[in-house]
Amino acid sequence: MAMHNSKDMIKQGGIWVFILAELVFFSIAGHYWSVSNQAFMDPGNMLLLLKQSAPIGIIALGMTIIMINGNIDLSVGAIFALSAVVLLDSLSWPFMVALGDWALPLAWGFALLTGVTLGAINGLIVWKTGIDAFIVTLASMLGFRGLVFMYNGEQPTSNLNWTLVDFAEAQVLGLHTASWFLIGTVVVLWFVTTRTNHGRNAYAIGNNREAAVNAGIRVGPHFMWNFMLIGFLAALSAVVFYSESGSVNPNDGMLYELWAITAVVLGGTKLAGGYGSIIGTLGGVIAIQLLRKGLGHIGADTQTVNLVIGLILIAVLFLDRQLTRKGKEELKI
Amino acid sequence: MKMTITAALACTTAMFGVVASAETMTIGITQNNVGVDSYQTTYERAFIAAAEANPDVNAIVLDAGGDVARQLAQMEDLIQQQVDAIIIWPTNGEAVIPAVRRAHSAGIPVVVTNSNIAEQGFDFIAAFSGPDNVTQGSRSAEIMCERFTELGIQDEARVVQISGQPGYTTAIERQQGFDERLPEVCPNVTLVETQPGNWNRERSQQVMEAFLIQYDDIDGVYAGDDNMGVGALNAARAAGREGITFVGATNFAVGYDAMAEGDYWGSIYQSPVDDAEAALQTAIDVLNGEEVPFLNYFDTPKITQDNMGDFTKPVF
Amino acid sequence: MTVLTRQNLGSFLAKQGILIAFVLFMIGFAMVNQRFIAMDNISGVIRSSAILGVIAIGVTFVVIGGNLDLSVGSMMSFSTIVVLDLHDKIGPGLAIPAMFALTLLLGAFIGFLVGYLKLNSLIVTLGMLSAIHGLTLTWSGGKNMDIADKSGTWFSFFGQDRIMGIPVPILIFALLAAVLAMVLSRTSFGRKVYAVGGNGQAATFSGIPRARIVFMTYLISAFCVAVAGLLQASRSLGSQNTVGQGLELQVLAAVILGGASLLGGSGTVFKTVIGVLILGFIQNGLLLAGLDFYVQYMVTWAIIILAVWLDIAAKRGHLWSPIA
Repeated sequence: MAMHNSKDMIKQGGIWVFILAELVFFSIAGHYWSVSNQAFMDPGNMLLLLKQSAPIGIIALGMTIIMINGNIDLSVGAIFALSAVVLLDSLSWPFMVALGDWALPLAWGFALLTGVTLGAINGLIVWKTGIDAFIVTLASMLGFRGLVFMYNGEQPTSNLNWTLVDFAEAQVLGLHTASWFLIGTVVVLWFVTTRTNHGRNAYAIGNNREAAVNAGIRVGPHFMWNFMLIGFLAALSAVVFYSESGSVNPNDGMLYELWAITAVVLGGTKLAGGYGSIIGTLGGVIAIQLLRKGLGHIGADTQTVNLVIGLILIAVLFLDRQLTRKGKEELKI
Repeated sequence: MKMTITAALACTTAMFGVVASAETMTIGITQNNVGVDSYQTTYERAFIAAAEANPDVNAIVLDAGGDVARQLAQMEDLIQQQVDAIIIWPTNGEAVIPAVRRAHSAGIPVVVTNSNIAEQGFDFIAAFSGPDNVTQGSRSAEIMCERFTELGIQDEARVVQISGQPGYTTAIERQQGFDERLPEVCPNVTLVETQPGNWNRERSQQVMEAFLIQYDDIDGVYAGDDNMGVGALNAARAAGREGITFVGATNFAVGYDAMAEGDYWGSIYQSPVDDAEAALQTAIDVLNGEEVPFLNYFDTPKITQDNMGDFTKPVF
Repeated sequence: MTVLTRQNLGSFLAKQGILIAFVLFMIGFAMVNQRFIAMDNISGVIRSSAILGVIAIGVTFVVIGGNLDLSVGSMMSFSTIVVLDLHDKIGPGLAIPAMFALTLLLGAFIGFLVGYLKLNSLIVTLGMLSAIHGLTLTWSGGKNMDIADKSGTWFSFFGQDRIMGIPVPILIFALLAAVLAMVLSRTSFGRKVYAVGGNGQAATFSGIPRARIVFMTYLISAFCVAVAGLLQASRSLGSQNTVGQGLELQVLAAVILGGASLLGGSGTVFKTVIGVLILGFIQNGLLLAGLDFYVQYMVTWAIIILAVWLDIAAKRGHLWSPIA
């Protein structure tokens, strides 16, 4: 057991070492290459980092538990977009306009409900048909995006509500609203995965589905709850982000699923399921945003950013595997 | 060491005299999506070149990759870095308004470049620098109508339109200009259908393929830029449909070539180099406290097969 | 001639479900609009499906081998840009082999990472999606690539010409499909691909070089991408850097629709081709019926779910999943 823990420590520590390396690199490189005289490690900049990690981060946290199950959700980008459309469009419905500012929490409710419903559709199909989640959500990624376009054609949906913007821009204890939502999601999901039956079941199912079934875990409903959870979180991410920007293009959120999966994998979660942690994913999300921010800080151009992010992803995967293998060999001895 | 620098600085100042604007200004730009087409790439190059040529300017050049969230993050980064001015090429004319307001309240002047933000945001920007896209749209309508009149089909011609990215101000304004002007100059021409081509040549080719399947009689195509116009032209060529008048905007090199070959009729001449230099100059003027017009347009003339000799081939 | 009992009718329907769905669709659309089954329309649909189809054939090998390839769209942009750029620099005769070599090199790199280093294919190809896009932008400097002399080059042959009235892209698509179908079903290499995907562990024990087979599937995939890039470049003689963006997911949809299991070990070239054609004809049929393009998204959603559901229901003998 102690062995197991030390292996976990190495693996989960990896992403934070990587983040530290990024910080050091960009601070030094920024000193020479950046035209800005602000230090990269400026506290304000680090607070922004947390805020900017929120849109992908909230989704990635939900993706973690889905992937611990051994599933995947490719439709989160489309759920994100549709929830945003519902949020902004519902504000202009006549009865909502009549409600004044009371419409705002209601609009949030509608958007979150949209996310949960779409997640439930995915979960129900996975449960009842037994089709692999990859295929189910690849298909619904198209289908949900179709719903986005059906709603408003190719036109953006806009509703700039300054009360909403002010709320989203507010800072409490130095942290922006979005950061609070990110932290809140981390705390809740950390608790769920490590301290509840549902969390233990998630790992058990990912490790060995047959054994989990034999142990009496109801796998189908469990999947469904998790898909509803990620639907909710995709909507929450949309709600937090679009409260601050007030306009959504029908293509928004595309590729978010891939970024979320990237963050989860960087954070050490296994694609095969059964292994992963919420804190690790938070590290993965921060590492990616830090990379973007840092490359911008030192003035790297678009092609370099693409190249570096892609290759680093592969390199981390490679290193991670080397570490894991090392851990296994140690266990054998 | 520090003393040497101070001494050197003192010397330079003494040598050149005290100039108020000699203080370097840091200008940050967040672009829409570099690499998606040649216009944006050429713009970026020209911007960097213009900034490097000016010893008073330090430029921070960022690219949002077409993602609104990333652009908002970049705006925040620039505000955080306390740059002197921000130039923004909006990914979405409405979604960036709150971020622009934030820069405004941080005391950083914002210049919008190329494609304007929605009117609700006008209070928070110092100026817009770029082409007058409504005029471009109406000029394209005029080019189209003049050509139909030459061909003698001004009373029966049917036109389809391929517009730019929906929700993008340039696309909306060009379409508006075209839609309003065409019935004024050619009241009997029918605009059959408008579909977005998203500034993408492939997408536009698909849209045109669909139009050709749906409509047997198409006399003219108006595309929101030449990149899409050439996509439509390719579709018509592949289907063997001839005699269609293609009119675009933002004359690309491919459009220019197609005009030279006689396949493509006309466009609007708009240089990304002018665009980039105008944006930088507007920001510098704003910082130096000079008067700049709120809507700072640079001229974009008509170009057709008839007068293309007066223009050099676009570099992008 | 076997007796047609209710049971084997059921299993026949389920096994050939995708083919039956395809035929029903064709009949349905043809009744709505005569033009749908006009020869020029059918040939038009196949021609515009050719690029997607060529890539999907290559990805079929990767998927049967038990892996994924999300980098194909990005890689096709690379091939297209490279061949267009080299066309004017070293001439089409040299540009084409050079482009194939470079694309195969990318495929070999991915194959090395997934095959020999045993890294997860989803993440490797996701990383390569981004990295190759960066590479393409570096190559082109972000500019659109256009052939200067568009009317004076034989390069347009592959994408635009016809042989005996049949568009060349269709011929290339058909030829590639036929050859690779043979490779998959009639050679020992083909059998090994199924073995590796069906059960990688067992394959290693039975002496099949798993790493080399996986490596080869990525080479085949890259080769097909290069062919698609050639078709694309030749069709339009000019291109943006993002021409293949998003293609990877359409390709996967077609492969899945054709019945290949993402767990590996099953699927055929022929069925993938049917999957590609279904997507193409649905798009065309909905367009002719005057429906908006988003309907196509939702119809594709429903068809994928139904097709895969029928397929696995037939295998397990129950419609509903046994998951509690």
